[in-house]
Amino acid sequence: MGLRTYIITRILLTLPMIMLLLSIVFLIIRVMPGDPVLLHFEKKASEEAMAEMRRILGLDKPLYIQYFEYLVGLLRGDLGKSMQDFSPISDQIFSAFPATLELAISSTLVAVIVGVLLGVKASQSYNSLWDHSIRTLGIAVYATPIFFLGMVLQLVFAINLRMLPANGRFPPFLLEPNGLTLQLGIQTPDLVPIVLWFVPIGFASLAICITVLKRKRLRFWPNGLIAVLSTLLVGWVICMYLAWYFPSARTLHIKTGLYTVDSLMEGSPLKFVESIRYLFLPSITLGLVLSGVFTRLTRSNMLETLRLDFVTAARARGLKEGAVIYGYALRNAFLPILTMMGLQFATLLGGAILTETTFSWPGLGRYLVDRINFRDYTAIQGAVVYFAVIVAAVNLIIDLLYAFLDPRIRL
Amino acid sequence: MHYNLVLLKVLKMKKLKDSKRGISTTTIAGTIILIVIIAVAALYVLELPPFTRPVSKALIMGTTDSVESAIDPAQAYDYFGWEILQNTGCTLIEVEPGSSAEADDYNPALATQWTTSTDLKIWTFTLRQGVLFGDGTEFNATHVKYSFDRNMGIASPDGPQLNMEYDAIIDNVEVVSKYVVRFNLRIPFGPFLGLLACQASSIVNPEYSGGWKTNWWDADSWSTDDVVWFANGTDARTRNTMDLGPYRLANWTRVAGKDYEMRLEANPNYWNRAAEGGLPKTEEVIIRFYADATALRLAIEAGDIDVAFRHITATDIEDLKDNPNLHVWQGTGAAIQYMIFQEDHVPGLPQLNDAKIRRALAACLDRPEVCETVFLGQASPLYSMIPTGMLGRPEGVPGPFAVLGDANYTYAKSLLADLGYNETNKLEIELWYETSGHYPSSPDQAELYKSQFEASNVTTVTLQSADWPSYRINRNEGVMHVFLYGWYPDYIDPDNYAFLYWAPWLGHHYIGHNATNNYSAMKAAYDAARASTDETERISLYNELEGYAVEDCPVVPIWQGAAWAVTKPNIKGVYLDITQNWRIWLLYEE
Amino acid sequence: MIKTRKAILTRLIPSLTSLAKRGSAGWMVIIGLFISVTIISMTILGPWISPHDPTAKLVNPPPNPSPPSLDFPMGTNLLGQDMLSRVLSGGSIMLQVAFLSVLFCFIIGVPIGLLSSYAGGIVDKTFTLVMDSFYAFPGLVLAIAIAAMMGRGVVNMALSIAVVYVPSYFRIVRSQVLTIRELPYTEAARAAGAKGRTILLHYVLPNVVPSIVVVATVNFADAILTAAGLTFVGLGVGIDVPDWGWDLTKGRALLPSGAWWVITFPGLMIVLLALGFTFIGEGLSELLNPRLEQ
Repeated sequence: MGLRTYIITRILLTLPMIMLLLSIVFLIIRVMPGDPVLLHFEKKASEEAMAEMRRILGLDKPLYIQYFEYLVGLLRGDLGKSMQDFSPISDQIFSAFPATLELAISSTLVAVIVGVLLGVKASQSYNSLWDHSIRTLGIAVYATPIFFLGMVLQLVFAINLRMLPANGRFPPFLLEPNGLTLQLGIQTPDLVPIVLWFVPIGFASLAICITVLKRKRLRFWPNGLIAVLSTLLVGWVICMYLAWYFPSARTLHIKTGLYTVDSLMEGSPLKFVESIRYLFLPSITLGLVLSGVFTRLTRSNMLETLRLDFVTAARARGLKEGAVIYGYALRNAFLPILTMMGLQFATLLGGAILTETTFSWPGLGRYLVDRINFRDYTAIQGAVVYFAVIVAAVNLIIDLLYAFLDPRIRL
Repeated sequence: MHYNLVLLKVLKMKKLKDSKRGISTTTIAGTIILIVIIAVAALYVLELPPFTRPVSKALIMGTTDSVESAIDPAQAYDYFGWEILQNTGCTLIEVEPGSSAEADDYNPALATQWTTSTDLKIWTFTLRQGVLFGDGTEFNATHVKYSFDRNMGIASPDGPQLNMEYDAIIDNVEVVSKYVVRFNLRIPFGPFLGLLACQASSIVNPEYSGGWKTNWWDADSWSTDDVVWFANGTDARTRNTMDLGPYRLANWTRVAGKDYEMRLEANPNYWNRAAEGGLPKTEEVIIRFYADATALRLAIEAGDIDVAFRHITATDIEDLKDNPNLHVWQGTGAAIQYMIFQEDHVPGLPQLNDAKIRRALAACLDRPEVCETVFLGQASPLYSMIPTGMLGRPEGVPGPFAVLGDANYTYAKSLLADLGYNETNKLEIELWYETSGHYPSSPDQAELYKSQFEASNVTTVTLQSADWPSYRINRNEGVMHVFLYGWYPDYIDPDNYAFLYWAPWLGHHYIGHNATNNYSAMKAAYDAARASTDETERISLYNELEGYAVEDCPVVPIWQGAAWAVTKPNIKGVYLDITQNWRIWLLYEE
Repeated sequence: MIKTRKAILTRLIPSLTSLAKRGSAGWMVIIGLFISVTIISMTILGPWISPHDPTAKLVNPPPNPSPPSLDFPMGTNLLGQDMLSRVLSGGSIMLQVAFLSVLFCFIIGVPIGLLSSYAGGIVDKTFTLVMDSFYAFPGLVLAIAIAAMMGRGVVNMALSIAVVYVPSYFRIVRSQVLTIRELPYTEAARAAGAKGRTILLHYVLPNVVPSIVVVATVNFADAILTAAGLTFVGLGVGIDVPDWGWDLTKGRALLPSGAWWVITFPGLMIVLLALGFTFIGEGLSELLNPRLEQ
């Protein structure tokens, strides 16, 4: 099986799985007891008013039509309307997702780093006290309720030592990081100079460019230079036109929603440090709980690898132990760790719900818990679907990555 | 070549390289990273240039409240919604901050003077001239008429006008001249000034308030767009119908359908802007929303916010009182909580339509225990639906419900014994409480009430809970057997508490099943007290009313509590008076 | 055949002394068993051994919460209840939920796994796809959604947890069956004319049991954590029953005032209980797969 066949098969296998998940979620929400429309209007609204509301939400249609519309909506990235305030659920989810993503990335980093370091230490001192205590620790963090660990860390580092903030994502006295803003030349464009100068110049350079490129023998001097210059010029003119035509395109604004990244792009070290400070406790909490699996994985992998010939040979050549382990032996553990990251992603999202609730982290998990409290069925459905799709996508990506990196899978 | 052989070759080269250098690359890289981290940390701690915190003039306030429906006097009937209405909007008259809201504590605001007819049915107001809306239109009498017609006309089922029975009080609003407006009432109404000073009587800007239908709730008169307009989170909810108040709502950020941050900016057109010291006292205010009381407390303690207002738990208040870096403000308590009995039949449970059962249950309650345990003495036992501090309810004199006693189990047992309930045949009740933090410490209270009822040995209690939206639905549907409810005053007058005995949202299911019920006598006393301005007469009428109430026990008062605010010590201008209003425009940093 | 089955069973339920001889894995099982049995018996005996009624208010006069003292070794909470008594009997709901969820998983997961793998073909493919979908789903999200849908209660909580773990049972049963089916003695039985059902019940099932027990112990530990998590997000059973999860959730509000004892003891009990079962599971799985023990 070639790589391409593998990828296609893998994607094709993911599709029915996602479809199945979507259907399950759809059915779970539809068989929930209670009438969401009644909840929104209270009893005082007339039957007609409630019927109207059902019509707006599309809840009056036969189930199979609802199902069809739900699937079509999903394809367009539309997760329906919230029953609480009729705003689009996808907007709410997209506004919450970056926070969860930032937490997920940083806690995965914590989990892998802690896990690998401990795993290596354990395998180096196989069957010693170190080994046993690290293994026990690995099991113990797994057996700790995330919110309990979170509370203990809050108690120690935020309440008693006052080193780190206990709640939230960003200090209120700062404006949220704004990301990267690039000015694209003209600020107050005037139609006349553009028409008078840039249009002819633009066409002329385009013409030159095309003529030059049409010649078969392209040397750098002078033709190549002309080609480069005219391409740049054409590009610039196009940009000007765009900027004139679409006012929003005059500045390029890149914002990821990840506060650490955004504050770096904005060039504000204070915001960066503050976002790290707020991110610290939640990601340590979630990361520590997940680190157990990585510890165990690294340990068993290292135990196997350290027995292999090339490691022995490296040692025999007098290489430092650190170089042997981190430079050579650990490379063998890379692929299993990558796979484990994919497998642990679902657990990570589950843990994120509890972590976010503990630390008032404004992400998807908190959103889900909130919506459950309001019995906002359509929003619950939207959030769960989103979780399902994200997990399936991440698993797919990890699998594909694995296929690229490990040649054996292509055989 | 074999894989291992290649590796060996590479290792060999690497080893040679290593031996040439004294220090390995790893060590150097590690040292550099360490130095960078230490340097950044040092810069951060010393707050050197790149890390200087921006000097912000804004006052930062934290809260656990959030906007429940919309910032519109026709729809908002929740504490925080009213708070924003008050700080961004304006009423004809205002209550003097820090006063006890007596008759002479009403100050001119958009109206400069007023007169009333002797029968208390016609009220005439002269308006302030030269007050500008945001778009430059001058405020005049037509805006007053528009506001009242609109707000009463929308008649939103959750809105204040319907629930406070504006319709039963105000007949019509009449434009006498450009700056004179007259209210013609249906009934003589003493506390009318109070009603006009409450946030439901705010003046809306017709430009901002959009179109409205005479009865928009009537399905025939709507189109889909109207519904979305009123309920849509991105449109109507970010829309503020006010702009005559001290502040303008400059920004309102919601993340994932929840309030995240609000920014208030001083309104340059505010009529009282030139008052001594200038109002508002702080030009910019940021309101941060916190998920729960614990998060709010941690934020004020860490210095993230300047002011924390609502809710901070009793334990936290006690703890923060000892904190030298914070100041704890105690308000005058006019917030009450009470217990309500469902008199209709609830399937599977005994019907509570006999006054004896309700009196017995009321006698089981141990108010001091709740106040001491859950509220650490910050709330006080309440023996009347009209709280202490109001007209006719002086400090130190227990209200009418005191005759039933606290934890008066012998009395409860004897009443229940008449109905055949005893140690073997126990009275089964379901007690409901709210879980989403709308009322402070509800679960703790419920646990305590359960044990108090069960201590009589003749009752068994099942606890049931619901989050706030469902709780309200359950209330309307009458499915809750016994439940806890709370009240903040709309205006300071016994009238606004006595009406809880037949509040529209309670009266339907909860009153009037008792064979010997005193409903009509109660209502007569209430109406008479409404129409009177004679204090002694009103006091005796309210006592008469509550005398009947004690016999019937349709609702039972439990405790009365105060608002608490925690601020940094340099924050001044905090007024937590009996109105329970939160006047952000008076706050300032010293 | 009888011998093999016996051997497997002995491997599964060996005496404590023989466990101790089997190195660290054996010791893990012993420690795990010790912790779990202690906590379970403590919870069962709770009502008789607690110094106070765990739900009685104000056994300690105000001010509350009060820190650990001689009278109240684990302190008291806001309502003046004795934390020691609450810790002693606070595991009952979690244990019930965990036992029930293991039971549900067993009843649902094992038969489906056996049938699916034995039937093969389209049935097997369908079941595998469904189970894989569930397996890939974030467990807690699914459990929360289902628990929110079904409402409060021990059985509902157990069911919502069971839905998450059935796929684990299915997978382990299926993979074991596929292996065992190819073993010589199963083939011999088939050649001797044994029916499919007989083979399933007499040959396959006993061999699958050890792996299921390992999954069940891990499931048990996870169920305890999930139950605590459900309580934390507000889907717990009730506030008038002593429960570690609820005490932990409620104690969070007292934490900033320095009342560490309100969360520490219930939290540690959850950790210990989950740890006990995880130890058993880990130890057993190492005993059954002694790959790394050379």
